[in-house]
Amino acid sequence: MFACIHSAEAAALASSFSPWVESAGPNTAVFSLTPRQLAERHWERITSNCPASAPPVQVAVASTVEAAILAAHNLAGCTFIAPDEEMRVLGPLSIDCLAGVSLWGSLPSCAPVGGALWARRSGRVNNPPQAASLPHIELFGILDRWGIHTLADLARLPEADLAARLGERGVELHRLARGALDRPLRPEIPAATYEESAEFDHPIELREPLLFVIARFLHDLIARMRAQSLAAQAVHLALDQQKRTLGLPFPTLDLKLLTKLIEHSLERQPPEAPVERVYVALQPTRPRRVQHGLFTPAAPEPERLELTLGKIRALVGEGNVGYPELFDTHRPGAGKPIACQGALLPALAFRYFRPPLEARVELEAGVPKHLTTKMFRGRVVQIAGPWRSSGDWWRPDFWSRDEWDLRIDGGALYRLYRDRAAQQWFVEGVYD
Amino acid sequence: MLPALPLGWRLDRPPDVLSVSYPKGGRDFPRGRISEIVGARSSGRTSLLHALLAASTGRGEFAALVDTGDAFDPCSAAATGVELSRLVWVRCGGRVEPAMRAADLLLQAGGFGVVALDLAEAAPRQLQRIPATAWFRFRRAVETTPTILAVVADRPLAKSCATLAVKLPPRRAVFTGRAPFLLLRDAV
Repeated sequence: MFACIHSAEAAALASSFSPWVESAGPNTAVFSLTPRQLAERHWERITSNCPASAPPVQVAVASTVEAAILAAHNLAGCTFIAPDEEMRVLGPLSIDCLAGVSLWGSLPSCAPVGGALWARRSGRVNNPPQAASLPHIELFGILDRWGIHTLADLARLPEADLAARLGERGVELHRLARGALDRPLRPEIPAATYEESAEFDHPIELREPLLFVIARFLHDLIARMRAQSLAAQAVHLALDQQKRTLGLPFPTLDLKLLTKLIEHSLERQPPEAPVERVYVALQPTRPRRVQHGLFTPAAPEPERLELTLGKIRALVGEGNVGYPELFDTHRPGAGKPIACQGALLPALAFRYFRPPLEARVELEAGVPKHLTTKMFRGRVVQIAGPWRSSGDWWRPDFWSRDEWDLRIDGGALYRLYRDRAAQQWFVEGVYD
Repeated sequence: MLPALPLGWRLDRPPDVLSVSYPKGGRDFPRGRISEIVGARSSGRTSLLHALLAASTGRGEFAALVDTGDAFDPCSAAATGVELSRLVWVRCGGRVEPAMRAADLLLQAGGFGVVALDLAEAAPRQLQRIPATAWFRFRRAVETTPTILAVVADRPLAKSCATLAVKLPPRRAVFTGRAPFLLLRDAV
């Protein structure tokens, strides 16, 4: 059974009965009654305890949500509708009561045609409701022409014939008039926070006891998330004043994975001092749903890959692991290969010397003839260039240079450039 | 009637291969094995590596590149056809030991079509410190998987642990045009 309260204080009154309350409008709240509340008729206390100076409270109890809303909106005082008695109680109500209530949230509202008709029928010429709160307004015009004025009139029509003439919307209206339109309660669940914290009498100095505490927090938080069919998208960890966030590439509830990731993070960046206060929070999101294909090539398991990359980050540094990305720029080494220049690009891969090798170049008529670096030296045998390029002149790190592609007598092909701003020669890399 | 097999005989299924189209002719890289690409500068070893990565990522697989010397050029790799979004790039800053450990971790993680270990241009002193057992460990790690471990180096390193060794000879540069308006096009 469901109870509906229609009052200015509806939400507060309903929340005193149940934590699961659906808001069916600005002054309407619906909730489910427990067997005990039903047996002891608790809802009657709302109207009996209401002071005379307070705004009127209308309460209705029915076996369906929509019937309870309809009765609470249109019947004064406290109304109890026993199962299968919806027609007896709701039948005399005018059919206009369906239009004034924001029901059928799951159904699409119609275009605001017939607003004047509704205004004529309901007598609200000076204050017509908004079109969005007038679902099925054209149906009311049809029913008006049929001579249907009460819910009982509508309920007496054969459902199959109504479906043939008015379609799905007419059937929904018919069921609503009979009090037979049933749906589950849609309570507004408050946004839950998944966080735990603790303060210690004695600061924790070692990593293992700290991880033990964090793992216990994660265990509880994951259990709470699993109960709500949620998963963690990120872990926020604060050790005293030192805060860190571990973003996960996929939602997960794997306790072992999260603990390992935190362990790797603590290995890379240990706390600066013994820890007195720990705060752990999980950022919730919808769980991951993956559809595997029979002929899809095998890919690394995401959990295992994340752990592996975490270990590698600890080895080589945070910014040295990832996937390469090309930026939309002409800056050498960072830009995308330009399609129109594809035919001009050499059919050779390139290897960078990072950082570029400083070079000493001997020129002859402005053309490099001999090259010396700390790694190699040689006479230039073949050379193409110079290719002058520049860019980003509005930024402090602008670039402007002359490039040569050359082969030295050792046989290797290098890219040599002269930084025009610094007037220095560099070997950028080797064609390979 | 089938003849009796000698004791200790084992029926080895020929390994699956990943065919790589390359300007100097196609190459078949056996899966679950170590393959070495060996050559001097400008011999085409990086071009072959990019072609291998492009063949793997083009099939929808994920690949990993352990870049010991920070030499990888994403621009020329993308021009070869490597799908960069399917490539894990590990930069090791010229240090061989973390590169070997990173390759080991990637092989143990599994699921990659190709794990490339680029040891070209690495310091000879660091290469000498690689224990031979590391290559045996790599061989054991990949032999039950469809992963290709491709090692790029100036000289052979894995030796008997490698099933395929591609030795690339020095190439001759091809410039087009007339001096002084030359253009580097290819190497043959």
